[in-house]
Amino acid sequence: MDADATRSQLAAALARVAGGDRAALRIVYQDTCAKLFGVCLRILNDRSEAEDVLQDVYVTVWRKAATFDANRASPITWLAAIARNRAIDRLRSGAMGRRMEPIEEAVDVRDQSPGAVDVLMKSQEHARLATCLGELEERHAAAIRSAFLDGTTYDELSVRMKVPLGTMKSWIRRGLLKLRTCLEQ
Amino acid sequence: MSDSTDRRPPEDNGRFAPAEYVLGVLSANERRELEQRLPRDGPLAREVADWEERLGVLVAEVRPVAPPDDMLSRIEGALDAPATTAAARALKREELWQSVVFWRTFSLGSATFAALSIAALTYIAILPTPRSPMMATLGNASGLPNFVAAIGAGGNELVIVPASLLTQDPRAMELWLIPAGDRPHSLGLIRPGQPVRLTVPPELAARLTTEAALAVSLEPAGGSPTGAPTGPVIASGKLTSL
Repeated sequence: MDADATRSQLAAALARVAGGDRAALRIVYQDTCAKLFGVCLRILNDRSEAEDVLQDVYVTVWRKAATFDANRASPITWLAAIARNRAIDRLRSGAMGRRMEPIEEAVDVRDQSPGAVDVLMKSQEHARLATCLGELEERHAAAIRSAFLDGTTYDELSVRMKVPLGTMKSWIRRGLLKLRTCLEQ
Repeated sequence: MSDSTDRRPPEDNGRFAPAEYVLGVLSANERRELEQRLPRDGPLAREVADWEERLGVLVAEVRPVAPPDDMLSRIEGALDAPATTAAARALKREELWQSVVFWRTFSLGSATFAALSIAALTYIAILPTPRSPMMATLGNASGLPNFVAAIGAGGNELVIVPASLLTQDPRAMELWLIPAGDRPHSLGLIRPGQPVRLTVPPELAARLTTEAALAVSLEPAGGSPTGAPTGPVIASGKLTSL
């Protein structure tokens, strides 16, 4: 099945979840659980925490499916946003020990999952974003990727990449502006 | 922003917050602050949604990992027993009030809330106005709005529009008028997920003033057996004159 068909099937399932359809929730779960668990695990770096958050994510999906608007958001983006927000909130809650990875990993973040792009996400949109990220200075793009995928704060990024906080903010903000311009072209 | 080493010029203050929120670089406090603005700030909510669409595709770069086999049954178990699990009962009411997860679970998207607010205001606008119409935004402990109430002509008709999904809680929701210095008086049961129009008894209509507040509590089916709130208050707000 191609990405478009997967997307519309998922959107249709979410609409049924909004109507209280448990079978549809199972479909959404089967189609997305590995990706969303990967998202949680990447941010939390702790299997047990990631499992707790994943459970919370699908309970949230069940309750908030009515707020999903297929005209405004793609289903996987909407689901991933819930997973990322929950995982980041857990990470920031202070309940977990902070993990600090070496600077090399932050820079190499793009290469950590070669070939892992699945059909759901193998989209033109991702290709465009990847192209636009490629036009940024490498360290700036690495900081943006690490922030998004690992849930790192400005403070942590500046420590990891050994630049002052103001510099890190400036990198990321300029990078975001360039990305937006590039994506709108 | 709290740090003093921030080098951006003052005019940039807050400009990047939606993108930074989506990117995930903000602290817990900064995230909370932005999330509390979301329900009331349509342009902000749209910017956040736009950045979600721009950056969200990056999750393509996350390696999928199969969750444990029993995860789906854990999720369904949580759905089946949301309010009656031992864990939920163990939470003291005060803790529940302050539980971010509890309230975030129950708050709707900002666009929906904005639409509901407009619906309530439109309702007020079409009412004859022999006296000043009133409204109340009923928020939870963290200030997030859960309901919008509008009181129209003569103060004897009230429309309450839920902005929150509470459908997982099997208990009934009861609306209370709390006049200044008085006990709560029931205004009737309201339904999750849909606007409800209530007729205010004449003896209470006169007490709908800016000194009074509205509150919603969770009650047994059919409403409070005692005539006073018996369950947790999930939202409250002062009446304001329009």
